[in-house]
Amino acid sequence: MNLMEHMGIEPGRLQFSWISSAESTKFVEVVKDVTSSVKALGPNTTYKKQAVKVA
Amino acid sequence: MSGYQDKIKETAKRLLKEGSVEMVIGFRKGTLPMMNEPCFIRRPEDVHQLVWDSNCGINLANYLTDRKEKIAIVAKGCDSRNIVTHIIENKIKREKLHIIGVPCQGMVDKRKVAALCAGDIENVTEDGDVLTVTCQGAEKKLSRKEMLQENCTLCIHRNPVLFDELVGEPVAEQTGIDRFAEVRRIEAMESQEKWQYFEDLLAPCVRCYACRNACPLCYCPTCFVDESKPQWVGKSQNPIDIRTFHFLRAYHCAGRCTDCGACERACPMGIKVRQFTSKLNKDVLEMFGWEAGMTLEQRPPLDTYKPNDPNDFIK
Amino acid sequence: MKVITIDKKGWASGIEKTKSAFQVFGPVKEKEWHSFKALGPGEQPDMAYSNTRISPKFLVQPQSEPMFTYSLDEAVEDHHILKEVRKDTAPKAVVGIRPCDAAAFLIVKRNFDAPQYQDPYWLNAYNAMTFIGFACNTPCSTCFCTSAGYGPFNEAGLDVLLVDVGDSFVAKSLTDKGDTWLKAGGWTSAADASGKIEALMQAAEAKITSNVSTDKLKTRPTTQIYEAPFWDDVAFSCINCGTCTYSCPTCWCFDIQDEARGTSGIRMRNWDSCMFPMFTIHGTGHNPRGAKVQRVRQRFMHKLKYYVEKYDNGIQCVGCGRCIRLCPVNIDIRKVCNQMNDYDPAACVCPA
Repeated sequence: MNLMEHMGIEPGRLQFSWISSAESTKFVEVVKDVTSSVKALGPNTTYKKQAVKVA
Repeated sequence: MSGYQDKIKETAKRLLKEGSVEMVIGFRKGTLPMMNEPCFIRRPEDVHQLVWDSNCGINLANYLTDRKEKIAIVAKGCDSRNIVTHIIENKIKREKLHIIGVPCQGMVDKRKVAALCAGDIENVTEDGDVLTVTCQGAEKKLSRKEMLQENCTLCIHRNPVLFDELVGEPVAEQTGIDRFAEVRRIEAMESQEKWQYFEDLLAPCVRCYACRNACPLCYCPTCFVDESKPQWVGKSQNPIDIRTFHFLRAYHCAGRCTDCGACERACPMGIKVRQFTSKLNKDVLEMFGWEAGMTLEQRPPLDTYKPNDPNDFIK
Repeated sequence: MKVITIDKKGWASGIEKTKSAFQVFGPVKEKEWHSFKALGPGEQPDMAYSNTRISPKFLVQPQSEPMFTYSLDEAVEDHHILKEVRKDTAPKAVVGIRPCDAAAFLIVKRNFDAPQYQDPYWLNAYNAMTFIGFACNTPCSTCFCTSAGYGPFNEAGLDVLLVDVGDSFVAKSLTDKGDTWLKAGGWTSAADASGKIEALMQAAEAKITSNVSTDKLKTRPTTQIYEAPFWDDVAFSCINCGTCTYSCPTCWCFDIQDEARGTSGIRMRNWDSCMFPMFTIHGTGHNPRGAKVQRVRQRFMHKLKYYVEKYDNGIQCVGCGRCIRLCPVNIDIRKVCNQMNDYDPAACVCPA
């Protein structure tokens, strides 16, 4: 994750979590968290493969 | 340094004569100034080919991978650390090796020298710290220390860490070196600026894979960029695919890279590919207090689990 | 054949004029090296350059080139049909190309323009080009064009040869395309400089001191060179990267790939290299050139033996020296060529 952010991925766009199948509450929380923080960042514009331009 | 060369020849001859090794891996004089070529010697009468000077920057550990013979190998500090890594990763057996350790004073970056000379360099000789460069008929004296590869200027392990014999007295290790100034400079940038920095850095890449292939760590039978089922990375000159290759290659070197600089030296386009691995070297040092290839006694942090492994990144 | 003199004072304005008739490419310095770039308004070719780091073959054969587009979406009218990608075939002028690099296109042409098959992508791109060559007054120490069958003032494959004679360029028009380019630049004053060119050519050729011997390559039995004992020694240091083949102006190999996104995709071809194991691996998993030494041998055998035999037109190398200068481990084609040429099994004392 550090190298990803080092090369220009915005902090917060890439997140890691460890959730047991029994931790439903944590799962919901994490999904909410991730969604809202990524939404706040807006669409990914950098690390995204553009379609090849054909003349 | 010329003393080293005589000692290397002498040792190689002795080992081949007594039959304790089948081959010696070292360097022979190249066909261009500031270039030596990795070579193998099998006969005592051929040891005269072996050379040692400031142009032996290739990491010879790369030539050991999966070899079965009894081999003597000439090894600088970084080479020896990669040999350690090779042994840990079962790519070579310790008992198959006779390591001829060479205390190193850094290798010359031929691009630095070339940048100071207009036109073709005809000849370069070295004497102590003085490099005498002949360029378009004119001689120029340069300080060898100032012409070193960047990784060599930042090196704190010039002496081999694992060897059977040394060709000279250990050299003084450099102290007070700020090894990660360049990494911190990039760390201080905003994300967009970082992205652009690496975009510009990789723009000249032609995907020749010289960086990968010069690296002793890259020995996978099929590299992830070459896989086709599934195909992880596109094969065109798309900048995203190029970037994916570079940062994933770096990840595969995490906790294993000795900053030998072979990748950067090999790049035909002069790309500072160490910008990726240096960041990981810094992280591994800060998180695990680990420098690759320093000991045979300990498993590298990324192939072991410890309860106190840093895990702040996990939510 | 016209010989025109171009005063250097009128050079830049003339180049600007040619831009209305041609897309102009020229050597431009970026970072520490030169490369051929499309020149925008006001941009000039850097005629003080020696040679480009990577050869200009990419102008005709781009490293990644879209060939077809397709869609697998059955709602689209022409789904499942490969549609050829339209190419820009407007006239292009490559100003300042070195004679070796222009001659290399003729070698590559034998592959892409064979009697039986013609490659439309390569040929259309090639035919759109006007090559304005630039004679080398100061060849590099790694140049061996003269013994490879070419030379610093070689005209093969060029439309115009420019010679720097000090205050002016002497432009020798060699084809109708060359005439058109000179006319587009508004350069018309005839020159009488043949003596001067001859003298400069001899001086330049005399500066080339490195050479290869190729006289016996054709007649030596293939298997004899193939089985020669020196290959292990030649190949040992090789790291099997693509530097030599990618920088080479005469290497033409490519790989065809589909880049799919959802239901649509592009079929493209990318440079490939005989140095890579993936180059020859079969669908079965078998690799006929699975070992490094086989791949290294293949590169040299192709350039210096198979090609020589097949086309009887010299070696597949113009002596530009790029692979020598850029090889990370100093494998030198001059040395290998001489080893192959001079190899005599009867005289060989094989290592015990």
